[in-house]
Amino acid sequence: MNHDRMKTVALGSVVVIGITCAALLVRWTDTLRPPPDPNAIDESLYLNGKTARRISLGFNGLVADWYWMRSLQYVGKKILSQPEDVAIDDLSKLNLKLLAPLLDTATTLDPEFLDPYEYAAIVLPAVDVQEAIRITQKGIDTNPNAWRLYQHLGYIYWQQGNYQAASETYGRGAQIPGVPPWMLAMKAKMEADGGSRDTAREIYTRMFEESNDEQVKDMARKHLLLLDSLDQRERNPKSEVPVR
Amino acid sequence: MPLCEISRNEVDTTASLTQSTTRAEARPDRLWRITAIARNAFREAVRDRVLYNLVLFVLLLTAASIFIGELSGGQERKVIVDLGLSAMLLFGVFIAIFVGVGLVYKEIERRTIYAVFSKPVARGEFLVGKYLGLCLTLLVNVVVMAVGVSLALLYVSGGWDPLIPTIWPAVLLIYIELMLLTAVALLFSSFSSPALSALLTFFVFVIGHFSADLKALAGSMGSTSARWLFTGLYYLLPNLANYSFITPAAHGRAPAAGFVFAAALYALVYITVILAAATMVFSRRNFK
Repeated sequence: MNHDRMKTVALGSVVVIGITCAALLVRWTDTLRPPPDPNAIDESLYLNGKTARRISLGFNGLVADWYWMRSLQYVGKKILSQPEDVAIDDLSKLNLKLLAPLLDTATTLDPEFLDPYEYAAIVLPAVDVQEAIRITQKGIDTNPNAWRLYQHLGYIYWQQGNYQAASETYGRGAQIPGVPPWMLAMKAKMEADGGSRDTAREIYTRMFEESNDEQVKDMARKHLLLLDSLDQRERNPKSEVPVR
Repeated sequence: MPLCEISRNEVDTTASLTQSTTRAEARPDRLWRITAIARNAFREAVRDRVLYNLVLFVLLLTAASIFIGELSGGQERKVIVDLGLSAMLLFGVFIAIFVGVGLVYKEIERRTIYAVFSKPVARGEFLVGKYLGLCLTLLVNVVVMAVGVSLALLYVSGGWDPLIPTIWPAVLLIYIELMLLTAVALLFSSFSSPALSALLTFFVFVIGHFSADLKALAGSMGSTSARWLFTGLYYLLPNLANYSFITPAAHGRAPAAGFVFAAALYALVYITVILAAATMVFSRRNFK
């Protein structure tokens, strides 16, 4: 009996000491490992959206969630690697070449998942505007009643200075039943006065009011503050701009 | 498995059958014998700690409810439904395959099958009883998991969530898919080894989800014989894509009642065919 107890204690000690040694060895090897290649994360995706959907065996919703969270982590890591704050709608210097394929895959796996489209419309134009338009248009094709996608596509066209296309997009969105009346007003505003500060204020106000994403709201709020300060400077060119 | 548990299983099987056959003599009821075997198969699954997977599932959902919010950009409700229902399907598939292929094999291996067939029990009744026992285990598993997903949604939303009623039709479709897969596992296990049966059942699960591709492939084939082959496979293999309603459920869309009815009817016909084939094979098997 005593011998058995000794044996148990000895084996237990081996387990505890072994795990401690293993943990210490992992820490040691971590210090010896060369620093990660900053471009390694940007290796191309192995699968495109259609293939991923085909082999997902009915788990396509879960895989889409994984690609969505990976997109957020991808952008988040790049932002954190920057020494200063970066605006969400101006990520051009971050070399986000994987963002479009990641969002495209997420939306191919789950075409009704609206958040990746919204993210593509807000973040992608600074990286690859054609991809931003394509992905948002894809969202409209698969979700023709999601009026906010028309709002986002109109926003991309407006940023490009293509007021005619923006007006048409807002107009198409305004035809959806139950859409807020300002969508039709935006169509007219784009047509008549697309490049004005008033139109910009209207766009960012609507974006601030309608978005559920805190980052998008924050971005819209910053643009509104900028517009306010520009107005104030014009009214009183000599005065200091108050900071809100 | 310890010897005491083997003998306990044997005692349970024969005791419940003795009880049922004694009653069966009074009431020549086939259903009674099948129920006795099913009840015993369920008890055996519980004793084999099959339902322990529920603990893992609860841990997974709890972790998801707490941490997913920070990772998913405010999409925790969708992720919880996707994760919960996908885990339900995945765990169910593992149970259906790994327990399903051992249902008959274990009885032969432990030689308890001799005790069972010494009673007036037909081989078909034995197979159907075993099948229903595992279906009952899966039902308990699926219902507990669905309640878990509903509770996780209540926790995340801080009250009633409109997604809760829409997940239950998707849960029903998952359960029907698992019933189909259990029947397939039972068919393979009636003539093959457990390892091969598990592999073949897993192939059926994979191909079953590729059924739309099989049809498209058949249409794109130049050769007539290849077109016939793939069209034949499309109709022959179970169309499991009919039961994939997890993603729409995560968006608050429930399947139409007509669709669920048609899918359930298809499964019923398919399961009947598979169990008939399994009985045919099993009846010809010599245990000497």
